[in-house]
Amino acid sequence: MAVALPETEARPKRGFARFARRNPTIVTGAVLLLFMALVALFAPLIAGDPLAITPINRLQAPSSEWWFGTDHLGRDVFARTVYGARVSLIVGLSVAIAAVVLGLVIGLLAGYYRGLDAVIMRVMDGLMAIPAILLAIALVALTRGGVLVVIIAITIPEVPRVVRLVRAVVLTAREQAYVEAAVATASSGLKILLRHILPNTVAPLIVQATYICASAILIESALSFLGAGVPPEIPTWGNMIASSRLFLQMAPWTVLFPGISLALVVLAINLVGDGLRDRLDPRLARRM
Amino acid sequence: MTAYLIRRVLATIPTMGIVAVFVFLLLHVTPGDPAAIIAGDNATPQNIAAIRERLGLDDPLWQQFLRWIFQLAQGDLGVSMFSNVPVSTLIMQRLEPTLSLALLSITLAVVLAIAAGVLAAWKAGRTLDRVVMGFAVFGFSVPVFVVGYLMIYLFAIELRWLPVQGYRPIAEGFWPWLRHLIMPATALGLAYVALIARITRASMLEVLAEDYVRTARAKGVATPPLLLKHALKNAAVPIVTVIGIGVALLISGVVITETVFNIPGIGRLTVDAINKRDYPIIQGVILVFSLVYVLVNLIVDVVYTLVDPRIRY
Amino acid sequence: MRFHRRHVIKTGAAAGALLGMGMPRLARAQDAGTIRAVMHGDLRVFDPIWTTANITAYHGAMIYDTLFGLDGNFDVRPQMVQDYGVSEDGLTWSFRLRDGLGFSDGTPVTTADVIPSIRRWAARDGAGQHMMRRVRDIVAKDERVFEIQLTEPYGLVIDSLAKTSTPLCYIMRRQEAETDPNEQITTFIGSGPFTFNQDLTQPGNRYVYDKNPNYVPRDDAPSGMAGAKIVKVDRVIWENIDDAQTAMAALQTGEIDFMETPPIDFLPMLEADPNLTVQVLNTLGNVGWLRLNFLHPPFDRVEARQAMMHLLNQEDFLRATFGNPQYFRTCGSYLTCGTPMESDVNMDWFTQGPNPERARELFAAAGYDGRPVTILQATNIPFMDNSAQIVAQKLRSIGINVELAASDWGGVVTRRAVQAPPAEGGWNIFITWGGGNSVASPINLSGHAATGTDGWFGWPSDELHEQLRDEWAAAPTLEARQEVSRRMQENAWNFVPHLYLGQWVAPVAHSARLSGILAIPEIVPFWNIEKSA
Repeated sequence: MAVALPETEARPKRGFARFARRNPTIVTGAVLLLFMALVALFAPLIAGDPLAITPINRLQAPSSEWWFGTDHLGRDVFARTVYGARVSLIVGLSVAIAAVVLGLVIGLLAGYYRGLDAVIMRVMDGLMAIPAILLAIALVALTRGGVLVVIIAITIPEVPRVVRLVRAVVLTAREQAYVEAAVATASSGLKILLRHILPNTVAPLIVQATYICASAILIESALSFLGAGVPPEIPTWGNMIASSRLFLQMAPWTVLFPGISLALVVLAINLVGDGLRDRLDPRLARRM
Repeated sequence: MTAYLIRRVLATIPTMGIVAVFVFLLLHVTPGDPAAIIAGDNATPQNIAAIRERLGLDDPLWQQFLRWIFQLAQGDLGVSMFSNVPVSTLIMQRLEPTLSLALLSITLAVVLAIAAGVLAAWKAGRTLDRVVMGFAVFGFSVPVFVVGYLMIYLFAIELRWLPVQGYRPIAEGFWPWLRHLIMPATALGLAYVALIARITRASMLEVLAEDYVRTARAKGVATPPLLLKHALKNAAVPIVTVIGIGVALLISGVVITETVFNIPGIGRLTVDAINKRDYPIIQGVILVFSLVYVLVNLIVDVVYTLVDPRIRY
Repeated sequence: MRFHRRHVIKTGAAAGALLGMGMPRLARAQDAGTIRAVMHGDLRVFDPIWTTANITAYHGAMIYDTLFGLDGNFDVRPQMVQDYGVSEDGLTWSFRLRDGLGFSDGTPVTTADVIPSIRRWAARDGAGQHMMRRVRDIVAKDERVFEIQLTEPYGLVIDSLAKTSTPLCYIMRRQEAETDPNEQITTFIGSGPFTFNQDLTQPGNRYVYDKNPNYVPRDDAPSGMAGAKIVKVDRVIWENIDDAQTAMAALQTGEIDFMETPPIDFLPMLEADPNLTVQVLNTLGNVGWLRLNFLHPPFDRVEARQAMMHLLNQEDFLRATFGNPQYFRTCGSYLTCGTPMESDVNMDWFTQGPNPERARELFAAAGYDGRPVTILQATNIPFMDNSAQIVAQKLRSIGINVELAASDWGGVVTRRAVQAPPAEGGWNIFITWGGGNSVASPINLSGHAATGTDGWFGWPSDELHEQLRDEWAAAPTLEARQEVSRRMQENAWNFVPHLYLGQWVAPVAHSARLSGILAIPEIVPFWNIEKSA
């Protein structure tokens, strides 16, 4: 998201400064995100081994040797925070992409083929009615953990929301004259979907994707907090906070650094999302 | 209107049916053996097998499913595999704390959020707007458990203003009830504030741009009454909608908030039940939560038609 | 933190004045007749025979009584029994119940209740089963006298009836005692010092026990599970607070009076609080277990199991979870250190310390072929969570491939029962712990059996070990038993049924207003506790 933004939005001739002045939230968010993405990408160059356990060095305060201190197993909090960016961003992006793609396909089908609509929407209503967090906890706790299961568990409840959004856009678009005309000239269903209806969904979906991404990162951390997340060996901000929360009073750095990173990333994504929404369609808010 | 209502109510039946099938399959297809947990750490494989058999866990899946559906049709949610207490009793015991927490959070959030949203829209583009909305977005970005622990540390342990944990039934007095809920409701409401404030602000901006409001403003009608009277009335529709959507968010938050503040509500009941694989409780609670969600959205849709006469079905 | 706190104190002063207005200092004033306690886990099952969960054994000790009790010195003393004796041939044990014993519903305790209670317990308990194989019959002589008639002399009759490792031989009413042992009883009426208040109990939230006004205590001084069990409060409430951070905060503010297992890292902080007392009740503590699966490679080969002995260092595990060496010790004895059964034979692997190179050679000798070793990791229990990660790291350091299978404890107990190969849903290693007192007895703890696929998870199999367990049970004197223990250890550290990860004590923390808490291994008693105003 961060990388794609300047390409689609900025008009090169007028300069970045002008764009930044007009869209301070997008730029702030994007810069933050870009920074986090770079950290995640180059983690091995920046930090040491996030898994190395040295019980003798447990709960050391931040110092020149351990910038962010060590946790209860004597692991380097800095290294774990840096590596933690990877999982959080991967989970956020994967869920956003998966939910949007699935939701788009199902939503287009439901909105366009009226016969399918009733069935699809009942199933979606059913899925939507199950509390997301409980579904995710149950899925992760009952199957054996792993990043993929977490991604699937978070994606499932997000899909119906995207479907509803897409379907609403399709229904509106269908009514409009150009689609009616296209139908009248007997274009194929697929062609109409792709050429005339799909473009209408792009703006709301981009905005929706940012919110899904932010909420996925938060849900991942909540799952880890409840002990049903990514396996604890893999450093994620969520399970760093979860496994260190006992030490909040004694060794606050074990919770503080992952907590701040988590809040910053979610904040950055929300800023980008808000900025995009304001730019793309101020009325979008109503439909969400 | 009546036809619409009937149609909507009937539509909840297939929805709940899908939830039931989905939840049953989720529990019974995934690995997990309540008998192994019941038997305890010192038990032998033979003990576990004997308990499995007694609980009917070895029966074919379709038999277990039919048994459960048949029970449900009679309004019976079954009994806990562990404590033998009926699931409906367990849910009733946990209903008050969860409802209290949810309602207080919503109330707190709606009041704060509408104030913030109106304020931000009024001063749109100025510093106050940026600060208010920045704070709202931030509230949306910090996990509820981080906020919860920080609050416990500050207000309960260091300052000793509020109790750390627990719940007092409202029957024991309003003040003890409220004191135990202030921190949880605030922690939980925070994310909600952001959501509603944002929508309020956006709707307010639209309304403020309408001709009649501009006219009224130009005529010198005092600003605060104008904002509240004209504008808020028109902004009510999207706000009600987002409250409906927010119920799902709230349910998720309730689960975590109840864990952090040790509130004996339905969220904790479920998490405990999942941890010990107490199938009847998990199935029952998810069904009940889903039903609440469906009903709230039904009510929201009805309210929708009431607050906005333009919407007809 | 500091900065934040001061800031809030300043700016929040007005709000604080409002909130605190007219309120007494928080929650300190819980009434003196009630003890609120947070135990180590949630009481999920109420039938102490149906489950072996420790918390249910605690619950049993509240509402039921036992025929014999283990006192504070680990000696067996009669409890519900007035007097008892054994015939000269050692085959007939006779017991006479105390006069005036009654259940809380008013009915008297008779041998018609006691005998089915023993049978139901023995059907589920390892030690009970071991004894019953030598029992010809249990007969009632009259309402107060009964006999256990044996086919051969057996040294552990009263030890088994008095044991504190789960399940304990609790005496129930005949109605409940005659329930199928694999089915849960539904009424909970005993002759113990407390009654279970089911109206106020909310499963998963709180469990309420009231003083049993009809309880008939013994005359002798209270000690452990023996002597006079006099209740000095009106009510005990077990609050189920799942989150240790929250429970500890509640203890600090006086919302609860007793916390059974405060995290050891925080003991200094709790000790520094003048309102709190930190105390070790169970001096034998717990013993960490690393269980190896005998059915599948690599641990079907003895070399691979021996390799683990040379690879792991108990101190790593103890330090990672328990931090302060004051509360833990390493121990190379097969039966718990600090008990009469402790021994130091065949312990070179322990005294010489870890030797990764030797471990690598032994794995090679076991024909290790690079397939991943599956470790079950219970992520919701810190000791198991941390230890699994350490084992994984150690194995990887000598070139063994490791798969950490993370799940909650519920997932671990499910998967550990699977005997299929790891790749088909089975496993190679899981971690748990046992009470030090249980681990000291080759009979009381199911995990000590080496009976193959019929035995406890991991399914070790060794004929000599089984023979020695029988010999241990039949041994007539302590000295004889110690001698068998040494031979058992010699053999155990050759065939390696499992490994230990060290021994630790878990102090309780409680309000300084509580006094008179009795020390018992594996049970936390609430009788004899006084709560000052």
